[in-house]
Amino acid sequence: MGYVQAGYSIVLGILFLYGLQLVWRRRRLNRSVARVVASDAAAVGLTVDTAGARHADAPGVGRPSGDR
Amino acid sequence: MSTNQHVPAPPVQSRRSLWTTRIIGITALVATAFTVWLGLWVTPPDQVQGNLVRLVYIHPGVAWVALYLAFGLAALASVLYLWPRTRSLYWDRLAAAAVEVGVVFNVCTLISGSIWGKPTWGVWWAWDARLTSTAVLLVLFLGYLALRRVPAEPEVRAKRSAFVALFAAVDIPIVHFSVLWWKTLHQGATVLNANLSPTIHGSMAWTLLLGFIALTLVFVWMLLVRYRIGVLEDWLGTGELDVALRERQAEGAGLDDDEAAA
Amino acid sequence: MWRDSLLVAGKDLRIEARSRVGLYQVAPFGVVALVLFAFALGPDRTQMAKGAPGLFWVAVLFCTVLAVQRSVSVESVDGARDGIRLSGLDPAGQFLGKAAAVAVQLIVLEVVLGIGVVLLYGASIQVPWLIVASCVLGTVGLAATGTLYGALSAGLRVRETLLPFLFLPIAAPVLLAGTRVWQAGLAGGTESYGSPWLRLLVVFDAIYVALGIVVFGPIQEAA
Repeated sequence: MGYVQAGYSIVLGILFLYGLQLVWRRRRLNRSVARVVASDAAAVGLTVDTAGARHADAPGVGRPSGDR
Repeated sequence: MSTNQHVPAPPVQSRRSLWTTRIIGITALVATAFTVWLGLWVTPPDQVQGNLVRLVYIHPGVAWVALYLAFGLAALASVLYLWPRTRSLYWDRLAAAAVEVGVVFNVCTLISGSIWGKPTWGVWWAWDARLTSTAVLLVLFLGYLALRRVPAEPEVRAKRSAFVALFAAVDIPIVHFSVLWWKTLHQGATVLNANLSPTIHGSMAWTLLLGFIALTLVFVWMLLVRYRIGVLEDWLGTGELDVALRERQAEGAGLDDDEAAA
Repeated sequence: MWRDSLLVAGKDLRIEARSRVGLYQVAPFGVVALVLFAFALGPDRTQMAKGAPGLFWVAVLFCTVLAVQRSVSVESVDGARDGIRLSGLDPAGQFLGKAAAVAVQLIVLEVVLGIGVVLLYGASIQVPWLIVASCVLGTVGLAATGTLYGALSAGLRVRETLLPFLFLPIAAPVLLAGTRVWQAGLAGGTESYGSPWLRLLVVFDAIYVALGIVVFGPIQEAA
């Protein structure tokens, strides 16, 4: 029975840890994407809402850009 | 100011696909928990194998996922990528996700098989066709992943990986038959029967089936999440560079303005 | 295709003849491997004789990795690879040519190693045609798969460590089959023992040579 318990714990443990790692990776990547989109939007004078859409800033907000 | 270079639209995941993934994940979790409960407590010990039969509820499940589902999917996706008419990076991403998840299941297969084998056959490992092919498959999977880590253009990397997957797919049946002959043609081969007793019935049969279903669901959930990770990584691969470029250009533009003003 | 393959094979072999890398580096490595195996297996001659087939083929496999690395690195200097692609040579011909060049080097190596095995391990060849057949068929398989994986990893800086890892598992059936046939050849076993393995080698060779002919062009485009 010890073998059975060891087997179950190891296999399920591996699967659980890997699944956890996947979720963590996805969360970290989502944050990176949000950061990139926000900085891109700021660079061209837009803001980003939570759905990732870009909106024009109110005048005076964001980096001054000569030709836009 | 610098050229009007937007990063491409961020890869937003539709609510439907996000919720599909979540529901599959929850179902997988429930099914696995149910399997464990049935396997460890509800079902009776086997007449021949005793409590060891409980490992049979998960070992064939992970094996089927690793060897046939994951690897088969990866091979199919690779062929679809290589075929010019169906070429699309979606297939490459799917293959990569399937291989990575497949490696995890492959390791689980070898470990669970080994743990079952020790009290049954007395050895941690036996050089029979199935075990050896599984081990070779793991090495081939790892080679695929190692090759993917080499930085390259997405299309180049996709093509290279697809070829490796194709060659591996061709090799596995050959390895399997070689080892099969190796053991059976050689005089004095011990008869290690890796086959399960075919007369498994009652609650045990249902638990076995549930085990298959639960682990398949786990695989599907992992595949979906890993695929999503691939999408995000690919997008970031281009997005970050564009942002860095623009910031660099903006620095230069700022300097020019200052110099012009001076 | 055949003409191109002869051109490429001739080029590779001529480079080898001038640089003598195979002669001065790969063959000695093979012999050193045989000596090390002898140290590992201990002074008992019967044990060494029993292990001789396997050790021979393992040494051949390692030498194949070196030979393929060499075959690939020959074209990595001075933009030679681009030159070959621009030359309009048929890719299938290139594959056959490079594989043939590797195969020729391997055959020479196997003769050297075979003599080494007979001398060092006290192996005695009872059925020569089995030995020769396994070496020829095994070499074709190793050269074909090695050239394929060499092309796949051609442009990579990590090729030295990646190529063995990718290639050796694929070559495992050749090792298995070659060893079995050699066992029959050395022990005077019946032909029925050796020939299923020879058939396996033929199938293996056919599959990978055909694959190489079809796939070598697209692989090069991806490099």
